[in-house]
Amino acid sequence: MKNFFKILKFEYLNCITNKAFIIITVFLVCASGLFAFLPGIIVNFAGSSSEEDAPADKIAIMKSSYDDSLVKSEITPFFPGMEVIVTNEDRKTVESKVDNGDYSFAAEITSPLTFVYITKNNTIYDTNGQTIGEALKNMYTVSELSKHGLDQKEADELINTGYVMETYSTGTDQAKNYLPVYLMMCILFVAITTYGQLVTQSVVSEKNTRAMELLITCAKPSELMFGKVIGAGLAGLTQLGIIFGSMALPLTFMPSDLIPAEIREYIKFPVETMLLALLFFLLGYFMYAFLLGALASFASKSEDLNGLTTPVMFVLMGVYFVLVFMCSSDMVNSTAMTVLSYFPLSSPMAMFVRSTLVDIPVWEIIISVVLQIGTIVVFGMLAAGIYKIGVLMYGNPPKPAEIIKMLKKSK
Amino acid sequence: MKIQVKDLKKKFGSKEVLKGISLEAESGQALGLLGRNGAGKTTTIRIIMGVFFQDSGSILIDDKPIERDKLQIGYLPEERGLYPKKKIREQLVYFGMLKGLSKQQAREATVKWVDRMGMNEHIDKKLETLSKGNQQKIQLAVTLLCNPQLIILDEPFSGLDPVNAMLLKEVISEMIEEGSAVIFSSHQMNYIEEFCNNISILNGGKIAVDGCITDIKRSYPRNTINVFSAAHSELCPYITNKLGDMAVSAKSDEKTNCVTVKLKSAKDKDKLMKLLVDSPFDIDGFNVKEPTLNDIFVQYTEDGI
Repeated sequence: MKNFFKILKFEYLNCITNKAFIIITVFLVCASGLFAFLPGIIVNFAGSSSEEDAPADKIAIMKSSYDDSLVKSEITPFFPGMEVIVTNEDRKTVESKVDNGDYSFAAEITSPLTFVYITKNNTIYDTNGQTIGEALKNMYTVSELSKHGLDQKEADELINTGYVMETYSTGTDQAKNYLPVYLMMCILFVAITTYGQLVTQSVVSEKNTRAMELLITCAKPSELMFGKVIGAGLAGLTQLGIIFGSMALPLTFMPSDLIPAEIREYIKFPVETMLLALLFFLLGYFMYAFLLGALASFASKSEDLNGLTTPVMFVLMGVYFVLVFMCSSDMVNSTAMTVLSYFPLSSPMAMFVRSTLVDIPVWEIIISVVLQIGTIVVFGMLAAGIYKIGVLMYGNPPKPAEIIKMLKKSK
Repeated sequence: MKIQVKDLKKKFGSKEVLKGISLEAESGQALGLLGRNGAGKTTTIRIIMGVFFQDSGSILIDDKPIERDKLQIGYLPEERGLYPKKKIREQLVYFGMLKGLSKQQAREATVKWVDRMGMNEHIDKKLETLSKGNQQKIQLAVTLLCNPQLIILDEPFSGLDPVNAMLLKEVISEMIEEGSAVIFSSHQMNYIEEFCNNISILNGGKIAVDGCITDIKRSYPRNTINVFSAAHSELCPYITNKLGDMAVSAKSDEKTNCVTVKLKSAKDKDKLMKLLVDSPFDIDGFNVKEPTLNDIFVQYTEDGI
């Protein structure tokens, strides 16, 4: 392997100095920076402007049998930041004011438990009517309890009695981890696909420019294949490191009140989960990159790549969509998921999801990792064999049966 | 150093491409590998380089099986190719290091060979910015980067203009003088005649003829004589009449002022010379007509593949 490190360095530098690679990295750094900062900026900007400058939205409640103070005190908590007005105006006036935008919406309470919700446009997402209904129920309960000798404060305390719940998981917290794990799975899929393509592009361009014949007389096919795959993988890790670093570093040092709560959750993403994601990215990347690299060696030009690599990409996409389905159908703990987490082609993503969402023993992760490493070694050796045959073949790419025949013969 | 290729056989599918090829080349000599397209030249070269493996036969260096790792081989493939988007210096250093040079040695060798090719001003340019001929010179620089003991050149002159071809000829001659063994495949017979002491003509995967060019030429019957004279049109019937049965034919060529006489026997050359000395014509020259390499090539390969 005397040439391995020279090839690795050349491939790595080739990838990271590639213009397209640099442009994409810069773009993603900017995008991730925006993702990290923008929500905070918007929230803070929106918060300050609404508090200081804009007049509060108004809710009009037409005069009813309920006491005005009771109406205000029961409805106001349901609509923070809005002003509740009890009005003597007639229905027509109220309707026209709602139509003009003077009132956000209004309600006419026609009996203790009956009301008309007046709004300009009633959309399927509008829940204000139901909220007024909840407030009306409270008003009714308070007024009925006051008839039995309780004052309004006591009645309010009674009906608003709540409970406090804390969750303590002895295993994993699926509810808390679901979204970050889902996000990491997407990143795993995109990263494996993208960096796998770097390898295929490198192979096909060397073949297309006919540099290949010279290269395989200077270095062993296994050195070339491993150098390419690991070089492109390191370039991928560099890019991911820069992107995540550019997002995580400012967030770590930014004052916490400037960061929206949702983003704070991502920052708190457990280190062990990040390490597992890194491990499974590497395993998944190597497995698929060797396959893609070997297949790319049969392509005479870039146009041939799609046809050759489609079966592998289908497998990868299939695994991804099955996992998305299983996660959304609460099947992370199913037998099918267990099988997928051991099957080498699906295990990088499946075992990552299982190990972070389900409490599984460490030996299961170790067995899966060992199986994946074994598969990578086999794929690597197979890829080097295919590569040596493929790189000097021009014309129509061979069929799978022909590839197997050639491999047997080359042994 | 001596490289011997012995009884090389190779099949691709059901097609037998090489049917027992044997060659030999030594330090300080060049071997010309000739043959029509598809005769097996490139396959033979690729087997020597370890790109393909032979089905049977062997490649020996000084009577021992070839160890490509221990031998510096300069290879100019038929399909030229480097990295078009990389700078020349960068890729030459890379190839030099792959061939076993240290980074420093690779840098020095790069500067030396780029300079020798007259491409100094382009050393930090991308390869794709050069003309085809200049790219070919860079490819040759890559071939010679590690001062190879064995140089294998597959069609080195294709795409070169006469000035660059002259430069290439000089460089190859220098390498031969310095003791490299050169195996040289080309369709341009004049270059083969210029460099090579020995040739091997391949036809249909077999060696049709091989050996020293002079010996091959001398193996042809030496009974055809060229006589040069300004009075060739009168000389031709004169020779035919005087020689009688000794001459098979005599043809006069106006362009070259030459009468080509084919004798029944090469031994009758002396009689023809005496006849010409005694003739009333002014004779400018007299020589035995030898077959050209082209004639030999056509003769041995025209039955096709």
